[in-house]
Amino acid sequence: MRIVVAYKWTRDPAEATVRADGTVDWSRAKPGLSAYDPVAIELARQLAEAAGAELIGITAGGKGVAVPIASKAALSRGLDRVVVVEDESLAEAGRSELAAVLAEVVRHIGDVDLVVTGDSSVDVAAKMVPAVLAGELGWPAVAEVTAVSGTGVQAGALRVERAVPGGVQVLEICGPAVLAASADAAVPRVPGMKELLAAARKPVELLELAALKVPPSSAIMTVTGRSRPERKARQGQLIDTTDPAAAAAELITALREAGTL
Amino acid sequence: MSVNAWIIVGDQPAIGNLITIARSLGGPVGAVVAGPRSVAETVAASGVDKVVWCGAPDDVPAEASAPAVAETVAADPPRVVLAGRNPGERVLLGAAAARLKAAVLTGARTVSIDGGDVIVVNAVFGDIAEETVAICGPVALLLDGGSVPPAAGGSVPIEEAAAAPLAMKLIETRMSGFDQVDLGEAHRVIGVGRGLAAKEDLAMVEALAKAVNAEIACSRPVAEGLNWMGKDRYIGSSGAHIAPQLYLAIGISGQLQHMVGVQGAQTIVAINSDPNAAVFSQTDYGLVGDLYQLVPAITAALK
Repeated sequence: MRIVVAYKWTRDPAEATVRADGTVDWSRAKPGLSAYDPVAIELARQLAEAAGAELIGITAGGKGVAVPIASKAALSRGLDRVVVVEDESLAEAGRSELAAVLAEVVRHIGDVDLVVTGDSSVDVAAKMVPAVLAGELGWPAVAEVTAVSGTGVQAGALRVERAVPGGVQVLEICGPAVLAASADAAVPRVPGMKELLAAARKPVELLELAALKVPPSSAIMTVTGRSRPERKARQGQLIDTTDPAAAAAELITALREAGTL
Repeated sequence: MSVNAWIIVGDQPAIGNLITIARSLGGPVGAVVAGPRSVAETVAASGVDKVVWCGAPDDVPAEASAPAVAETVAADPPRVVLAGRNPGERVLLGAAAARLKAAVLTGARTVSIDGGDVIVVNAVFGDIAEETVAICGPVALLLDGGSVPPAAGGSVPIEEAAAAPLAMKLIETRMSGFDQVDLGEAHRVIGVGRGLAAKEDLAMVEALAKAVNAEIACSRPVAEGLNWMGKDRYIGSSGAHIAPQLYLAIGISGQLQHMVGVQGAQTIVAINSDPNAAVFSQTDYGLVGDLYQLVPAITAALK
């Protein structure tokens, strides 16, 4: 009985800047657990506790994803152990390559009943890794999952609620599956000193990329150009709000002149 | 006839934009439909060259047809596979990409063919930068689906895929009670952030929205977490991208992940009590002050 959570150790583009030549300067962005991954870990932890399952974190990426602080950050949120693939070549890997590596990690672990991921990564935000991962494994996948209930993982029938426009749908899934949690699927707990200390003693397995038999991609991607997109120039005019009524009148006049009201 | 571009269709035939892009690349365009038969019929009349319907029953979600979609696409391997930005089609596109071992891109601004390569100008990292990528081999693109395409003259026959669906079943659909909205259609949009203290205060914003004939939208935490509005109303890198005439940000700090969703707005106005809020560097008109005074003042001035 095993539940896997795929997490990402990465940086927030809100803290990055883009140089005039289109390259991204990440030097001021601090790496961390990707924004929605604590939600995925919490949701998976609740399921694992209910089912008495082992909870395993997996991640794959370029240099830095295997640093002890990264594994500890994930482990302190309630994982039993982590399996990490760190390889220079994965720094620039696309969604499908990362998903293919994660699929091999899931196979390496073996007997996995469920894979949970976050809604999207804070840096790329493509929302595609869980979809391709499920495709690689041949498992059902559901995105925007808001709750998991029913007979639970153990019985092999999962009740999954997912957000759809205007409401939620309840789905029943048999067999192993990949679920991408919505950002409000669970409320993550902030790990305390006890959890951080415990995390330091939990197993971290480092896997060599070469040891996994990841099938090669059929597509060769070459970046032939980079640019910083032109942002629409904004006027940046501040309206004095000492008198709210006068501010309102000034704003309305300006918007009418601009033709937007 | 070998297909150059496959379009993956889920529960809705909202693929007008995908058809336009697929057509621009030249060569035959195929569509594989995982949704209901009625969707396949609409797609068959939309001007594509080939339609394959996965044939799953109505109480099965579109995602269950992932193997059928992947097999259909792999049986006639394309250069490009396209799908719309919604959860079901993402899963289906992922299955096709895994089967084809295709590259996956989600920020395509333009797509073209240059000899043996597909050339994509792709926005990356929350749209802060753009890369031009040349792909030799199959590529899967997640794009805005667009509207339902108008019927072309005549329909192509609907073929059926044979693969069995995955073991998934739709048990029930519960409506949230939130009104659905298409923010992309609105000329004016008011965005509400966490600067609003309580859900009851939305009434004040609604009064302003009525006065300026605007739709109300929000930042992500207001829809997810606070749950004050439906998820189709949040704007940002993972939510709606809009380009209205006027965007009025109320109590929104102006984080990158929100503001990329309103870059296309003609005019941006922000109201925030924090003069250092990031939003003020990205607006046309900024009002630093108490939104509880300023919003009613603007509403009153419009009457």
